[in-house]
Amino acid sequence: MSVQMSLRARAAQLGKPRKATYGVLIVFVLGSLFPFYWSFLVASRDNGMLTERIPPLLPGGNFFANAARVFDTVPFWRALGNSVLVSGTVTLTTVLFSSLAGFAFAKLRFRGRNGLFVFIVVTLAVPTQLGIIPLFIAMSKLGWAGGLQSVIVPNLVTAFGVFWMRQYTVDALPYELIEAARVDGCSMIRIFWNVCLPAVRPAAAILAMFTFMTSWNDFLWPLVVLDAGNPTVQVALEKLQSGYYVDYSLVLAGTTLATIPILIVFLLLGRQIVAGIMQGAVKG
Amino acid sequence: MTSKGLTTVTTFRKGLVLALGITMTAVSAAACGGDGDVPAAAGPNEHVELTLATFTEFGYEALIPEYERLHPNIKITHRKTGQGGPYAQDMMTKLAAGSGLADVQAVEEGHLSDILSKSSKFNDLSKIGPSSVQPDRWLSWKYDAGKDKNGKLIGYGTDIGPLAMCYRKDLLAAAGLPSDSEAVKPLFATWDSYFAAGAQYTAKTGKAWFDSAAQNFNSMVNQLPVGYLDTSDKLTVENNQGIKDAWAKVTDAVAKGESAKLTAFSNEWNSGFKQSAFATKACPAWMLGVIKEQAGPDNAGKWAVTAAFPGGGGNWGGSYLTVPAQSKHPREAAELAAWLTAPEQQIKAFEAKGNFPSQAKALESPQLLNATDAYFGGAKIGELFAEQAKKVSKPQYKGPNDGQIQENVSSPALQSVEQGASAADGWQRLIDGAKKLTR
Amino acid sequence: MTVTDKTAPERRATTRQHAAARPGLRDRLARWDVKVSPYLYVAPFFIVFAIVGMFPLLYTAYVSLFSWKAGDDNPDFIGLDNFKELFSDTQFWHALENTVSIFLLSSVPQLIIAVLLAAVLTLRLRGATSWRVGILLPYAASLVALGIIFANLFGPRYGLVNGVLQTLGLSPVDWQANRFASHVAIAIMVNWRWTGYNALIVLAAMQAIPKELHEAALIDGAGTVRRFTHVTLPLLKPTLIFVTITSTIGGLQIFTEPKLFDAMPGSNNGGSTHQFQTVTLYLYQTAFENFNLGYASAIAWVLFLIIVVIALINYFVTGRLAGRRG
Repeated sequence: MSVQMSLRARAAQLGKPRKATYGVLIVFVLGSLFPFYWSFLVASRDNGMLTERIPPLLPGGNFFANAARVFDTVPFWRALGNSVLVSGTVTLTTVLFSSLAGFAFAKLRFRGRNGLFVFIVVTLAVPTQLGIIPLFIAMSKLGWAGGLQSVIVPNLVTAFGVFWMRQYTVDALPYELIEAARVDGCSMIRIFWNVCLPAVRPAAAILAMFTFMTSWNDFLWPLVVLDAGNPTVQVALEKLQSGYYVDYSLVLAGTTLATIPILIVFLLLGRQIVAGIMQGAVKG
Repeated sequence: MTSKGLTTVTTFRKGLVLALGITMTAVSAAACGGDGDVPAAAGPNEHVELTLATFTEFGYEALIPEYERLHPNIKITHRKTGQGGPYAQDMMTKLAAGSGLADVQAVEEGHLSDILSKSSKFNDLSKIGPSSVQPDRWLSWKYDAGKDKNGKLIGYGTDIGPLAMCYRKDLLAAAGLPSDSEAVKPLFATWDSYFAAGAQYTAKTGKAWFDSAAQNFNSMVNQLPVGYLDTSDKLTVENNQGIKDAWAKVTDAVAKGESAKLTAFSNEWNSGFKQSAFATKACPAWMLGVIKEQAGPDNAGKWAVTAAFPGGGGNWGGSYLTVPAQSKHPREAAELAAWLTAPEQQIKAFEAKGNFPSQAKALESPQLLNATDAYFGGAKIGELFAEQAKKVSKPQYKGPNDGQIQENVSSPALQSVEQGASAADGWQRLIDGAKKLTR
Repeated sequence: MTVTDKTAPERRATTRQHAAARPGLRDRLARWDVKVSPYLYVAPFFIVFAIVGMFPLLYTAYVSLFSWKAGDDNPDFIGLDNFKELFSDTQFWHALENTVSIFLLSSVPQLIIAVLLAAVLTLRLRGATSWRVGILLPYAASLVALGIIFANLFGPRYGLVNGVLQTLGLSPVDWQANRFASHVAIAIMVNWRWTGYNALIVLAAMQAIPKELHEAALIDGAGTVRRFTHVTLPLLKPTLIFVTITSTIGGLQIFTEPKLFDAMPGSNNGGSTHQFQTVTLYLYQTAFENFNLGYASAIAWVLFLIIVVIALINYFVTGRLAGRRG
């Protein structure tokens, strides 16, 4: 009994971090934060900082002045609106369609399942650099070039998303749950919505974070295809880097501003990556 | 189950067929975008929308509304890209796709040889442009460089980058060299005198004379009567004595420690200005702003510029405005390009962004001639660079891939010599790389 | 079981509705639902692919058979000559070596650290969300900032790393000129950007492992390491396969980091002697600087096939390594 007790005590200790653990994490996070802090430092000072032998460690007082120059130089708010619309739409549809496809590939039986799935994974291996020319031809033929749909439609759902959601769903969603719902007379879509989606929430949250960020930072394709007056944030900010030398305090003030929405999305979605939804489900 | 499965498969096949269909039409469209008939000009009151694509700073921001006021039926959309790299890719994509280029498309001097070799994709401005625009508007070398082999005028010149020499007065004086802007000129008279002065400077101070080998080599090659390719587009490198000599002189200077080995525009090059890593710098007009920014206020008054350049004159940078064959309003576009590149407008662009004009009349305007720069000891930079611009000899013929040979073959080959490879190995790299490109 | 509880009343309602219809119809609808739904669910991907993915593939396949310079009016059909040329193109093989070298230097340590980092992040940390978001941040950093920061770190002359090496009495390294050193520097850049990203993916999968399994193993007397290799790893198999395959693909298509690393801004040369030019940089340069679309398309297709082969090998290796579960 006492042995049993000590095991229980150890089980209760499972997952409790040690102090050293926090130390390791702090190192990682400081390394991650450094470029952001450094960007902010430059954005709050002037260009001279870049060639200083020993760069200053504290921000200067120019950030708002530099930010104001960003707003004067580029149509920031319009670009921000476009980016929110594009990245928001793409994130929603990618997560929805990828989860649906992932559910089908992981848990439903249908003819051609394996072949179609392998096909999707293989499309990931296609180098994307050249695609921009034929894609532009296709968009021109469709009459979409210039409009926001030209940057939304190609990213409505990605092979990456389908692959990820399928891999996650395989283990995260027990067949017992699906069977139970079937016995209760649930339709397929209802099983997806009420059983599968809650079970794959952490994976969907991560996919949403990645998709939003990738879409938000996408540059070359939007630059080529969008109309000059209707840019996304990254396309608009690119104009700050003009001339024979770059005013980095201006450029980094712009990128700092453009990072804020990503951070908001991260914080909102980061909470969704939580354990415990399915715990107990297997037992029951 | 089977029948349902089949439905999906057929939709999938339909998608395939659709995609194939687009492929074929698009491929044929891309392949057939050649010389067509130029559409007639729109009527004076017909509403016309034009797009103008530029990169970095052309100084056109205030000019565009002015043109729209003068031509109420014209609406201009300005597509401005910050950096040359993405701009070039954008242009290349749309050239290959056969659609999407702007009505007036700016082209940088370095990309001009590529554009001239695809001249069927562009309008001949000498035919569709306003007849009032005559060759004598521009410096003759600038105008001539905008024509293809058959004399078709592809671009109207905008700005130029005439070369002078920038140098550190304090460092030269400390090394016992002349530093006064007149007295220093003999050092920069020929490449031989330039490298000899460098050898002297380096021997005395142990420090580098110039920033990187590539920029000197490029200037030397550009001064030759025949460049990397001859007028029949044959590669000359192996038998071009001028290029061989230039290579020998530059690599010899590198061997003597005259090069600071800093790749132009790299991060370390930027730092090099502040660290006083080199004493002289080949200096196109637009380089003054770069030096000012990178060397910073601490070095104010130390840098100077003089109206001399080894081997005569030279040019680095500057652009052209073209009208692609894709344009639906080529005549209106040519008219806009002609207006923007008129001396009156280019002087305004000079005042706005410092772009040095390529127009003969603009070079005589008081706004330009009276321009001075306090950072460079109050030098009369407008007059100085106008003088340098007139020293440029007739343009060298630039065959297809000329720009790539310079940027992606000879510059890296010199960089490899600076990084420790032998001059002979570097030369072999240059020949092999140039052959591969022009095959 | 909150899931089922919450939906129970709704379900009852729908069942009643269906009960009113003819019994056969409901059955048929249900069977139809089971058969057709999977195809509907996977359809969006294939529709998008048919509109925007298929055409570029066919286009590059078509163009690769021509000597096609961008803007050519009548490109010459040359069959497989581009591919033949590619096999004797030393620059291509050199670039492939660089790619594989950078890939190995980055992916292997990156995945190991990612798994360990994920294991740490599954612990009951205070402020869990912040840590998770924190490690993903590098992926969101601006490329402009990265370019300058890494240039400042690895600059051969004024760089911080060399400064530290010299202070320690070691000789400085020419991170640009030395082939292997440049690969190491680029790999560090890659790992910095992507480790947190992979860690988060693995973390999500670890979250799905029922705690009871760990408790059971603990009661069986399994230590931390044994629990990790016998409980965690086998259950992570699908995710590890995912991470391995996407890292293989991403690693072999590596483009941004070597491009940013070049001292010549915007250059696709991959250094003065192409010492760190990757295959995608070579492809990009061939297409967008040299305008040789036909040859670039051939490079793209050969790279695609190489990636598929290597990804397959990695698929089987990962399956073996993690696959105690059969």
